[in-house]
Amino acid sequence: MAERMQICNLSENNFEQCTKCSICTTVCPVAAVTTDYPGPKQAGPDGERYRLKDPAYFDKALKLCLNCKRCEVACPSGVHIADIIQHARMKASEGHRASLRDTMLANTDLLGTVANLVAPIANATLGLKPTKLVMHSVMAIDKNRTFPAYSRQKFTTWFKRHAAKEQDSYPNHVSYFHGCYVNYNFPQLGQDLVKVMNAIGYGVHMLEKEQCCGVALIANGLYKQAKRQANVNTASIRQAAGTNHSTVLTTSSSCTFNLRDEYPAMLDIDNSDIRNNISLATRFIYNLVDEEKVKLVFKQDYKRRIAYHTACHMQRMGWQLYSIELLRMIPGLDLQVLEQECCGISGTYGFKKENYERSQAIGSILFKHIEDAQVEAVATDCETCKWQIEMSTGLPVENPISILADALDVEATRRANGI
Amino acid sequence: MRMDTIIMGGGLSGLICGIALAKRGQRVTIVAGGQSTLMFNGGSMELLGCIDGNNVSNPLEAISILPQSHPYRKIGAERIEALAEEAKQMLADAGINMEGSAAANHWRVTPMGIAKPAWLTLSENLRIDDLGKLPAKRVALMCIRGYFDQPNGMLAQGLRDLGFDVQTIEFTTDDITALRRSPSEMRATSLAKRLLSTTALQRVADQINALTGEADMVLLPSVLGQADDSDIKTLQGMCNKPLRFVATMPPVVAGMRMQTLLRHYFKMLGGNYLTGDTVISGNFEDGKLLNVSTEKLNDMPLRASNFVLATGSFISRGLAANYERVYEPVFDLDVDADADCDQWTRFGILEPQAYFNYGVTTDGSLHCQRQGKTISNLYAIGSVLSGHDAIKMGDGTGISLISALAVARNITGGK
Repeated sequence: MAERMQICNLSENNFEQCTKCSICTTVCPVAAVTTDYPGPKQAGPDGERYRLKDPAYFDKALKLCLNCKRCEVACPSGVHIADIIQHARMKASEGHRASLRDTMLANTDLLGTVANLVAPIANATLGLKPTKLVMHSVMAIDKNRTFPAYSRQKFTTWFKRHAAKEQDSYPNHVSYFHGCYVNYNFPQLGQDLVKVMNAIGYGVHMLEKEQCCGVALIANGLYKQAKRQANVNTASIRQAAGTNHSTVLTTSSSCTFNLRDEYPAMLDIDNSDIRNNISLATRFIYNLVDEEKVKLVFKQDYKRRIAYHTACHMQRMGWQLYSIELLRMIPGLDLQVLEQECCGISGTYGFKKENYERSQAIGSILFKHIEDAQVEAVATDCETCKWQIEMSTGLPVENPISILADALDVEATRRANGI
Repeated sequence: MRMDTIIMGGGLSGLICGIALAKRGQRVTIVAGGQSTLMFNGGSMELLGCIDGNNVSNPLEAISILPQSHPYRKIGAERIEALAEEAKQMLADAGINMEGSAAANHWRVTPMGIAKPAWLTLSENLRIDDLGKLPAKRVALMCIRGYFDQPNGMLAQGLRDLGFDVQTIEFTTDDITALRRSPSEMRATSLAKRLLSTTALQRVADQINALTGEADMVLLPSVLGQADDSDIKTLQGMCNKPLRFVATMPPVVAGMRMQTLLRHYFKMLGGNYLTGDTVISGNFEDGKLLNVSTEKLNDMPLRASNFVLATGSFISRGLAANYERVYEPVFDLDVDADADCDQWTRFGILEPQAYFNYGVTTDGSLHCQRQGKTISNLYAIGSVLSGHDAIKMGDGTGISLISALAVARNITGGK
């Protein structure tokens, strides 16, 4: 009885549990570089008290929040600070339409479909100075940004033509939520995943229907569209859950976080029955090796020095451990784990003209750490961190699955697993 | 996932224990639910400051008169000196430069201007070895305009009571003024981020040099050096007079720096640090803890040979209370606490409070116990330990450091 009374006294977003210690503000990457943003304590639990009285207390500065969730990770009292801020933004945006620029940036799959058709032209045009200047002034997309190159062939097209047929021949099976980045920009990562999974005896299968996870839609205030797409994805994952490929693997930390945690928290979609079916591929593979269900055999001559960057959403999920420990299994890999810092891009945030300088200022600490680490490449599970770090440090950035695929002696691994 | 040791709690004791184990070649994971109370530390460690209201001058000697239930006595009074030396060295290895001796307390100055006995204090902070021989006569207390986590009047009065001739000087620079735009966030940590460049520091030094005419020593609130102490050294080099720092109210830059440096050192040694995750349960069998589940890795338990509970006291949720009992919320371990809730507190917030002495029950090796049975591979360290009142005795950080190192030795079988 006593316990229940204490719990019942909390509201849904538990802002009463804030003790005003200000630790969240000390780790906020935005508050660190601009006085325009009041910091997560003020924007979150403090401001919420006022907004409850009168929604007019909504402060436009809340739009500067990156939704990196570092405040939630640091909070000693478990307050869902970033969720409070996002909900306030969501409420304040009701009745407003997102700008053309935001709609375009947020619709990563629509943009990708068009760009794939005309990939050589799109890549060349998007890279031209005049195009960049027009986008800068008309669309307010910063001229310093380089759009990630679009692939000529979608991942799903490659998969259908070159891989789909043989997948049923493996003894075990998984599904794969490839996401927009793999499908339109970097099919190689998807191919690497198929290569690794096949080598350890797992056939890979696409979902019946996959749409963009919607992380950028949420960030840009397109909640209705995000919810529609989230419902499609959740239904597809639920459908897969009833088959022999019930585990749905991902290779993007942000897609994973969105599918598992933001759907219920931000879009009010109940995914509790299938949430544990969704797993980052590194986590799934690490666990198979850990439980001695599969073996990995690595190339003898593999030798590299790589730094691992924990993406903010990865840290929020708490799964960096799996990617790090999986990479540590590679004998020739000298892995430096970087202090967790925000890279500043936060999906589409850093692409916007008004955010460019702030975005680079936020990332500067991380870029310095990377420089100091003296490595030949950086590993991270997030594609937008990849763009930001590649643009800002000049170093190649790779997904842990691609590093694994590169280091793996595929033939020996297949033999070791009886394939 | 299998580790040699899993530590629950990423504050001072958890990190020190993790570093000690990783240095001895162990695979260690720390599960840290949010930032710790180290973030409130102004830059001093205390071994033992006070017994029954009397200040202690030699902690190593005084430890032998503590009751047997005190954590130092459980560890063994004769072991404390070596462990204290190891702790000081480990802090230095992590980049935390502190001065002091376990055999002779010095005085640190609190943000309210009170002198308290301390064992180690950051090199740049105001430290008084002998109250009869102050390090300076005339001090200029620099007060940053708009900064509200420093009660300047009380601090100045406190320093005067100690015998200093104090002049308070308000100042600002363009960089600092810009911060006032968001007055609610004009905190030490925001200032530290604002005053990073050499030019910003030079502007502060120019003000100090122009305004502190007659003073022998300049005091500045501790608002520099979030990542390391390089900004502090730079500013000291720019000032014409000796510059010392005084602790501020939380959030504290020095505490953040110590936390960051220790975590960085631990990771460099190969340790895993899981921020923002919490251990929620464990499986016990035959008096041993087999594995633990965390909030975020819930369907994949973490296995280890040994486990260390470093979850802190009530404020860090290492201990909890409801209307009926005081309990340890992760495993429901046995606790030393009064059953009658009327005994927990006493009227008057500054009175000694019984609940400060509460903590988990441990044996001489700091093993925990559950339902009266010792858990042979689960240890407790730091503020979750029972048997002392850190506020009244001034021994909290010391117990965190000493118990962490003692348990690391117990686990690896060292002396």
